[in-house]
Amino acid sequence: MSANISPLDRIATYPPPIEEAVRAIEDLLSDGYTLSRRAIALLLLQHDEEIEGTVRRREGEERFALIAEHIHRAQAHYREPLGMVILAHRQRQAQAIAQEVVRHPLKTGSGIAEWVGRVCMQPLTGIPILLLVLYYGLYQFVGVFGGGTLVDWLENGLFGTYINPFVTLWVKRLIPFTPVQELFVGEYGIFTLGVTYAVALILPIVGTFFLMFSILEDSGYFPRLAMLIDRLFKKIGLNGRAVIPMVLGFGCDTMATMVTRILETPRERLIATFLLALAIPCSAQLGVIMALLASHPGALLIWALTLISVFLLIGWLTAKVLPGTPATFHIEIPPMRLPILSNVLTKTYARMHWYFREVFPLFILASVVIWLGQITGLFDLALHALTPVVRLMGLPDATASAFLFGFFRRDYGAAGLYHLQENGVLNGQQLLVTAVTLTLFLPCIAQFLMMKKERGLKTALTISAIIFPFAIAVGTVMSLILRLSGVEL
Amino acid sequence: MSRTHSDDSSNVTARVVLVGSPNVGKSVLFNRLTGRYVVVSNYPGTTVEVARGQARIGETVCEVIDTPGMYSLSPITEEERVARALLLREQPDVVIHVVDAKNLNRMLSLTLQLLEAGLPVVLLLNMMDEADRLHLYIDHRALAKRLGIPVIPASLISGRGVEELKNIVSEYLSARQNRDLSSAD
Repeated sequence: MSANISPLDRIATYPPPIEEAVRAIEDLLSDGYTLSRRAIALLLLQHDEEIEGTVRRREGEERFALIAEHIHRAQAHYREPLGMVILAHRQRQAQAIAQEVVRHPLKTGSGIAEWVGRVCMQPLTGIPILLLVLYYGLYQFVGVFGGGTLVDWLENGLFGTYINPFVTLWVKRLIPFTPVQELFVGEYGIFTLGVTYAVALILPIVGTFFLMFSILEDSGYFPRLAMLIDRLFKKIGLNGRAVIPMVLGFGCDTMATMVTRILETPRERLIATFLLALAIPCSAQLGVIMALLASHPGALLIWALTLISVFLLIGWLTAKVLPGTPATFHIEIPPMRLPILSNVLTKTYARMHWYFREVFPLFILASVVIWLGQITGLFDLALHALTPVVRLMGLPDATASAFLFGFFRRDYGAAGLYHLQENGVLNGQQLLVTAVTLTLFLPCIAQFLMMKKERGLKTALTISAIIFPFAIAVGTVMSLILRLSGVEL
Repeated sequence: MSRTHSDDSSNVTARVVLVGSPNVGKSVLFNRLTGRYVVVSNYPGTTVEVARGQARIGETVCEVIDTPGMYSLSPITEEERVARALLLREQPDVVIHVVDAKNLNRMLSLTLQLLEAGLPVVLLLNMMDEADRLHLYIDHRALAKRLGIPVIPASLISGRGVEELKNIVSEYLSARQNRDLSSAD
């Protein structure tokens, strides 16, 4: 298929001043660049800093000065930067080629998919659609079905009635020492707490969430959501592109922190990282909190409103504090597609697998650490230290353990909370305060490590040092307001 | 994830790099070629890390490298920087430029730039099924002639075009090998 076309015919050409400069620069370059000398010359004309550095190193300052001279001479012909001129010329030729080979239909297709896509982006229709997606997709499917029905069936049914009593019986029979029994089947035991939490609580919640997330993701809804929220985001110093990591954050904040790389400026990356750590609950957390507050719709509403306010307020403040201009936004809007079941299932499975592999050892580790802490008395010491903080927020002492778990992982803490709620220790107000505070905490150790990797240790520590007191402060204020107003939730 | 080509890379004789703007199907192609699974979605920006895998294409064991999306060789974002650095460093034997056939006029600019850079480019027109549905007619033969490179229509989600792509890449690699041999004489 490779026809005999001379190379120059098949590539873009530029106006004479630029072509002359390209030829002159090509002559000044030595061999051995990965890219052609023509491409290097063009990138130099576009002031590409990385390439400038490489060429400077390879050709020496003297030669680079000659090159710079040619660039300068070419630039003198144009008012706009050479980069723009080159880009525009190449673009025009690309479009001309496309026009030659693509035949458009007489009228642009206006299928149902396109209509749905458009409707999702317009505020007037887009916001109600968003609310519907949140209500049915998140609240009903993940919260009520995943976190309610499935968890109930697994935790109380399968584990509570069959597995745990059976395991407890055998552990007690085989191991006569109470402390060792405690390690496996005690209140915080590897089996009764670690395995049960992971399999009976987190798995169904995260599973239903990932399933819903994958369906929405493959349908092409998210980029439209990004367009919808773009205007709002600009006000807090982020552009709509930042919606991408934010939306992913609802799946996993750690992954999303990595995805902040797609943002253009360091400033944006920092704001996004901070907001992810603070105000975006991840799937596990979101699911457990949905399940937790599903029986208190009022509390759920206040929880959501509080988080949105914190997100906007802190985003706005950070944007004020950090100097810089917002970057421009362009996002590819793919067409709406009917998700393909096998792709959705594979993806859900891949994510669950990955999540499970990450949390399962951690849950077990947590059980072991707590067990060690109990034996040495450190656990009680930590609980005692936390008790005043918990009381400050108007919560019963028992919640201290949920907070202690929360330091490990937010979802682990939320799961602990779930237990407390089942036992009727917390009223609606207290549930709300705990849920808000735990959501604001740093999600997990993995995210801290990712922040350190992407933003550096200093930034990661600073962000954490802001988040913990802030979360507790918000909890305290909220508790005060709730108690003073006497709202029943 | 700095997994360089270690383990059984001893028999790897060619390197294939997948490039293209975000959300055109590079990761689907990666999965199709290597049989490994990386998360694929209808959401730009899903691939930020570089994924590597192996594929047998014809007689050749190739290392296949999936890159984050890039719009041009002049990087603006971090992910584009990663993608370009990869192109510069890895000295690919074949660069497969994956494009969305529906938006050809926005995509060909990068093809031109890759050709300008002297890279061995194969153009894969993905999402032909959607283009068909929009009644867009794309003359891929004319495009191949105009650009002087192989152009393959495909619909990766259903696997259409993958075999043809493999054949073309295989031809490409053996032609190059012959050329190298004859020039060594």
